[in-house]
Amino acid sequence: MQTIYTDLLVVGAGLAGERAAVEAADAGFSAICLSLVPARRSHSSAAQGGMQASLGNSVMGEGDCPDIHFADTVKGSDWGCDQEVARLFADTAPIEMRRLAHWGVPWNRVVAGKSVYYKGGKKFEKVETLEKEGLIMARSFGGTAKWRTCYTSDGTGHAVMCTMDNRCAQVGVDVHDKTEAIALIHDGETCYGVVARCLRTGELRVYLSKATMIAAGGFGRIYPNTTNAVICDGGAHTMCVASGVVPMGNMEAVQFHPTGIVPTDILVTEGCRGDGGTLLDVNERRFMDKYEPEKAELASRDVVSRWMTHHMREGFGVKSPYGEHLWLDIRHLGEEHITGKLREVYEICTSFLGVDPIHQLIPVRPTQHYSMGGVRTDRDGAAYGLKGLFAAGEAACWDMHGFNRLGGNSLAETVVAGGIVGKKIAEFLEGCETEFKTSLINDAVKRQQARIDALIEGKSGGENVYRVRAAMQDALNKGANIFRTQQGLEECVATLQDTLIRARNVGLRSNGKGVNPELAAALKLEGQVKMALMVAYGALRRTESRGSHNREDFPARNDRDWLNRTLAYWKKESDTLPTLEYEPATQVVEIPPGDRGYGHSQIISADSKKD
Amino acid sequence: MSRLLKFNIFRYNPQDKSSRPRTEEFVLEETDSMTLFIALNRIREEQDASLQFDFCCRAGICGSCGMVINGRPGLACHTKTRDLPGEITLLPLPIFELVGDLSVDTGSWFREMYTRTESWIHTEKAFDPAALEERMDNKDAVAIYELERCVECGCCVAACATARMREDFLGAAGLNRVARFLIDPRDQRTDNDYYEIIGNDMGIFGCMGLLACEDVCPKHLPLQNQLGFLRRKMGITSLKRLFRK
Amino acid sequence: MPITYAPAGKTGKWDGAMDWLQMLSGAGLILFMWCHMILVSSVVVSPGVMNAIAEFFEVTFMAQVGGPLVFLLFLTHFVLAARKIPFRAEGQKTLWQHARMLRHGDTWLWVIQAVSAMIILIMGAIHMWVVLTDLPITAVKSAARVQSGFWAVFYLILLPLVELHVGIGFYRIAVKWGFVKDADRAKFKRGENLLTLMFIAIGLITLLRFLFLSVN
Repeated sequence: MQTIYTDLLVVGAGLAGERAAVEAADAGFSAICLSLVPARRSHSSAAQGGMQASLGNSVMGEGDCPDIHFADTVKGSDWGCDQEVARLFADTAPIEMRRLAHWGVPWNRVVAGKSVYYKGGKKFEKVETLEKEGLIMARSFGGTAKWRTCYTSDGTGHAVMCTMDNRCAQVGVDVHDKTEAIALIHDGETCYGVVARCLRTGELRVYLSKATMIAAGGFGRIYPNTTNAVICDGGAHTMCVASGVVPMGNMEAVQFHPTGIVPTDILVTEGCRGDGGTLLDVNERRFMDKYEPEKAELASRDVVSRWMTHHMREGFGVKSPYGEHLWLDIRHLGEEHITGKLREVYEICTSFLGVDPIHQLIPVRPTQHYSMGGVRTDRDGAAYGLKGLFAAGEAACWDMHGFNRLGGNSLAETVVAGGIVGKKIAEFLEGCETEFKTSLINDAVKRQQARIDALIEGKSGGENVYRVRAAMQDALNKGANIFRTQQGLEECVATLQDTLIRARNVGLRSNGKGVNPELAAALKLEGQVKMALMVAYGALRRTESRGSHNREDFPARNDRDWLNRTLAYWKKESDTLPTLEYEPATQVVEIPPGDRGYGHSQIISADSKKD
Repeated sequence: MSRLLKFNIFRYNPQDKSSRPRTEEFVLEETDSMTLFIALNRIREEQDASLQFDFCCRAGICGSCGMVINGRPGLACHTKTRDLPGEITLLPLPIFELVGDLSVDTGSWFREMYTRTESWIHTEKAFDPAALEERMDNKDAVAIYELERCVECGCCVAACATARMREDFLGAAGLNRVARFLIDPRDQRTDNDYYEIIGNDMGIFGCMGLLACEDVCPKHLPLQNQLGFLRRKMGITSLKRLFRK
Repeated sequence: MPITYAPAGKTGKWDGAMDWLQMLSGAGLILFMWCHMILVSSVVVSPGVMNAIAEFFEVTFMAQVGGPLVFLLFLTHFVLAARKIPFRAEGQKTLWQHARMLRHGDTWLWVIQAVSAMIILIMGAIHMWVVLTDLPITAVKSAARVQSGFWAVFYLILLPLVELHVGIGFYRIAVKWGFVKDADRAKFKRGENLLTLMFIAIGLITLLRFLFLSVN
């Protein structure tokens, strides 16, 4: 058995993980990132739109500052976020963007002079000042007061990911790609590293570390239709769930993106709407301007997604063999704009749909997109429950997003949180000494080997891993989608409980030798179903509507009873439901709960009396 | 009526002693808008659970799914079956180490490339968190991004006859990487520094100009132009180095 | 994990110079072949014109001095370009496999270039030896050679191979050094193919003319 020691072990080599690793390496510590894929293939690279930071260089962002960014973020979260964290984020983001520029990100820059832009299908003119020429440019994005989203064409995530991975190569952060962490090594109090499976040989390997960080992204793949990459399957979360002591925060807060293409669920960027794209119905008429006269297509994601679903339910959806959808129209932006600033969008439409967006409409529908929930951490990124365990990025519930995150805020979060948490990890490592007990390590490895052997031999049964997985996805899709009801969620929970039993009885059909993909899927399935139960059960218990969590039977946001965060544990192996606990959404209140200004939601104020 | 597609897929699991390299045949009914991503996953889920292949973003932006599709290296996720004949032959990318079936190890190759090209900004300047960012012409930013679009899928390397014949060749991906830093005003390296990296037959002078890289690149990077640019630039640098002494 | 794809840090002091020389020697030979074509094809106009041009080279000693120099250039070009050609069976097998798998026009063109190079090396050398050891060049002497039967077949093989090699080489230099950009590549390639076909046609006509030229 190969055993590798490092000061900091990061599970995941996306932006958050690599950023933290760089910080630790800069402080003189050794750092290794484990990744299912070569670092640059991480899902961070798929983020097209940009990163929000209140640099205020564009004339359209004039007067922008961290305060306004902070306010947008809190409103966006529907007051579900930790305001201390959101403040930390908004204040740090501009510096982080500049740092990235210094490291090599080719941000688009301000070009002085007149140019045109589109909003709601209409043409407008703006004049950029000479004084700001050459500084980092920003574009418009949903849910923001100012043009604040820094970008490089529409491959921002890709460009930043390249720079970050270059930086890792430069400062000596090792990335062990094709390596999958499958279990934490811990004693219920402290985390000592992970047991990992090598995806080049299939062998198990032990990684020991003083600090372990979960930065493996979201878990959208527990849904059937998601914009997430196939690696965003929550595998790293399942390790934390299995510990029994690390809680998942706000798992019911799942965001749906308004514009996933049909049928392949690939995301086309919010930039399409930011730049003036419009949504059309079956009659090729706009409708968002009727529901949201002020912001129209640029309202926040949950609002747009909700109205789209509503509009389709009213009978205005376009029928297709893959279900109903609506149209996204960017034709009026013109060939130059579409093949320039929106080139990735152009390529996605032509390559995956055979649709030419210069002349044709793009079929879109709301699709699972982002998990606000994840490994709950404090503001330093330290996970609840285990010493030496940290998390950042989409994998974490650091909680600047609350119940809805704004476009461009998550990509910015990866590097901002990565930097902040990385620094805190370096502080933690300073003077930290650990003892590794060989018996603890051996037990952890043996347990994993026994699981693998049982799956290969079919000791627990012969359930088909792919069918059980599909059952889980289907249950969530039906019950825990954009609109939720008590009845739907109860059914969903019951189905998932049944699915959990099936997941425990999975047996492989193939021989399981080497880098067997069926084995990889089977190893994480039970944990995934537990996470699905956390989503559904958390949603069932939360009897209000907040951000992306919409209960049709409880349409009001209830600040009196639900201004809190769900903490979901799987305390005992034999449990059939997660244990839910709650903590206040935020300790520090800079902006008291109020109206978001969009979304038409009813609010039960914190001061109102119980019925 | 939908077609019955016949897939001839290379199979070999190096970790299984009883496994031998071979081609296996799978038949699948074509559905609307079917891509190789959909097809391969269906084969794995319905016919052979051990089939190895790599997908990640399945949206043509991460570069995981490079494979040889009917002779040509390309990204499987954005290959629509309706653009292919009824018989589809899939092979793993050559040059890269085989992990199993259609899965290869591109990570190690590219990591080596970063080290050889020192794929990062070389600057003496330290970052000052209190200062404004250094200004840059937007045209420069756009030009850099144009080259930064490489997704490291490895198709250009797999299609390169030079790379097939000498394994130390940097390939179009590596040379493009150098070009990306060469045009970046933030990188303080000189032509002479770059010559140390690519001014040899493992670098730009090894390129024979067959341009299969340009023709297979799924991101349509301007590789031909970059290779020409580097050859002229390094050619001139080589003369300067010879005659300066 | 150790990676052993390449030894790092080896700079090629002469690699750049050799690349220049390979290109320049190739370009020189292309120019020579075009002039050569003008010289021999002038027989189609009349043997007298050809004789006049040949005599001009003779009187100015360009044939006596230039001939061997071209021969030297020819050998230099071969040695330089052959650095890239696999001579071991293993390399050849890989290349052959690669070309068949890829079905890529420009890769096949290179295979043609490499194979034709081997044949041209031998046949071209023979041709040059025969011509340069029997100066001066005259239309009648050339015709007599072509009419001897063996030489007609010899030139029927050599002519298209040389023209292909020259044509592909011309195209390759242009795209490899970036004189022709990606946007113009297809157009340039079509033009070059046409030029090659034209030269082969002119060459064939010239051969026919020699075949039917009265030797007496």
